[in-house]
Amino acid sequence: MARVDYKDMINFADDLLNKYKIFEGIDFIPLETYEGMDTRPAWDFKTPMATGYYKPYLIKGSTAVEKITIGELHYMRRAKYCALNMTASDDYDLPIYACEFDESAPRLGITVDFMPVVDIAVHPEYREKYLDQLADLWRQYRTLPGFTKEGRCLVQRRYAPWPWARESLSPYSLDGRVEEPEDRYKVMDAVAAYARVWLELLKKAEPVKDPQYKQEMLARKKVLQKLYRERDPGGEVIKKIFGEDKHHLFVSLIF
Amino acid sequence: MAEGIKWAPYTEKLQEQLNQLALREIHQDLTAGKTLKAYAADKIAKIVLGDCTIGTAKHIGMCTIVPLENYWLPLFFSYWEEQEKEISFLVDIMPTVDSLIDEPYRIKYLDSIQPIWEKFASLPGITPFEDDAVRAVCSIVYTAAVVPIEKEGMRLAALASHTEYLKSYIEFVKDAPPADGEAKVKEIKRKIEAIKTALRSYMQKAYAGAFHGDMLKVFF
Repeated sequence: MARVDYKDMINFADDLLNKYKIFEGIDFIPLETYEGMDTRPAWDFKTPMATGYYKPYLIKGSTAVEKITIGELHYMRRAKYCALNMTASDDYDLPIYACEFDESAPRLGITVDFMPVVDIAVHPEYREKYLDQLADLWRQYRTLPGFTKEGRCLVQRRYAPWPWARESLSPYSLDGRVEEPEDRYKVMDAVAAYARVWLELLKKAEPVKDPQYKQEMLARKKVLQKLYRERDPGGEVIKKIFGEDKHHLFVSLIF
Repeated sequence: MAEGIKWAPYTEKLQEQLNQLALREIHQDLTAGKTLKAYAADKIAKIVLGDCTIGTAKHIGMCTIVPLENYWLPLFFSYWEEQEKEISFLVDIMPTVDSLIDEPYRIKYLDSIQPIWEKFASLPGITPFEDDAVRAVCSIVYTAAVVPIEKEGMRLAALASHTEYLKSYIEFVKDAPPADGEAKVKEIKRKIEAIKTALRSYMQKAYAGAFHGDMLKVFF
């Protein structure tokens, strides 16, 4: 197992923006207020334990986006906690693009997925419209070392200690622990590929018309957000670094 | 049975577990090459257990337990496709509600299966179930695998996951409470139908023409 020095860890946000250029052609507007909170303290932070930023955006001219947050938290020059979250506004039923990307010397922990905002068992048309777009990518990337080990494919097991979090995942989540440096870079290909699919879906998105379906969709979306904001173990690290008062802002931007 | 292969005792082992319930037989067909038994039981709309061979090279087994829609109880599903060199299977306790939202349901039924789910994670060939529509109706604790049969003991090792899930499910049946209110009954009914549709559709696609046609009608 190769260890990776802090200086050689992946530049998550920079790579997505400048190497993969996933947002090329998209005109971002900084989201200064989110759910009544001033987001600016998260744009650039430096504390004795951590440096970094979580920057939320809207897309110019689009009403379909609630937030697109990209960010990195560098913890004592030992580990990076990175995130990309793309959430549609309440009039749209797009799944939530969520990527949690945590890198330390021995390994990279990753979960990337389109989290459905309706129960896909009873809405197969939702799965077909949004999630099945990931089918080929999922089959391609789930064989990466770390996702598959000694002939066993272990995706959807990284969140084993947190059943509530596994409930949020789609049938196409990619998650696991990846060790070798070259494999960590392959994971970035998956993160970018999933993001591109979401951004394509966004271009074609239409507001939800059925009020009953919308009510059902919003109920699930709000439960998802509440669960991640209140229970994500990463939230405890955020609380330790930024204190109770800023905790809610940070976790709300990340998920 | 292909020459030299002794198929796993799929129906026998599952029947042993089912016998803990007070079964009322509603259908039985033991014609050449297949076993198909259907039962009713308290809180359960239908229990179906069966197996058949396709040619001499495949042994297919299936067990479904569909609860009555007015009970707060998951659906049991076991699928077994056995060949000389490998066994593909899926076993699950499928939620009949949205188990992200109904957290007490998740805790009672799915979290309590988690130790079994973790135990079988070390089984060779463990993998997500290949069909996307079926994965979409599975719980967070389903176990699926394509187990390479490198020695004969592997057949029973793989089958153990089915008997363990079923054993737990039968305990759930015993103390399953009625569904709380009309809205919950409606939700359960909608979800049971959706699960049955996904499973029926997969089986029709996977075994078009090869399966005993009447068997799927009894299961779903």
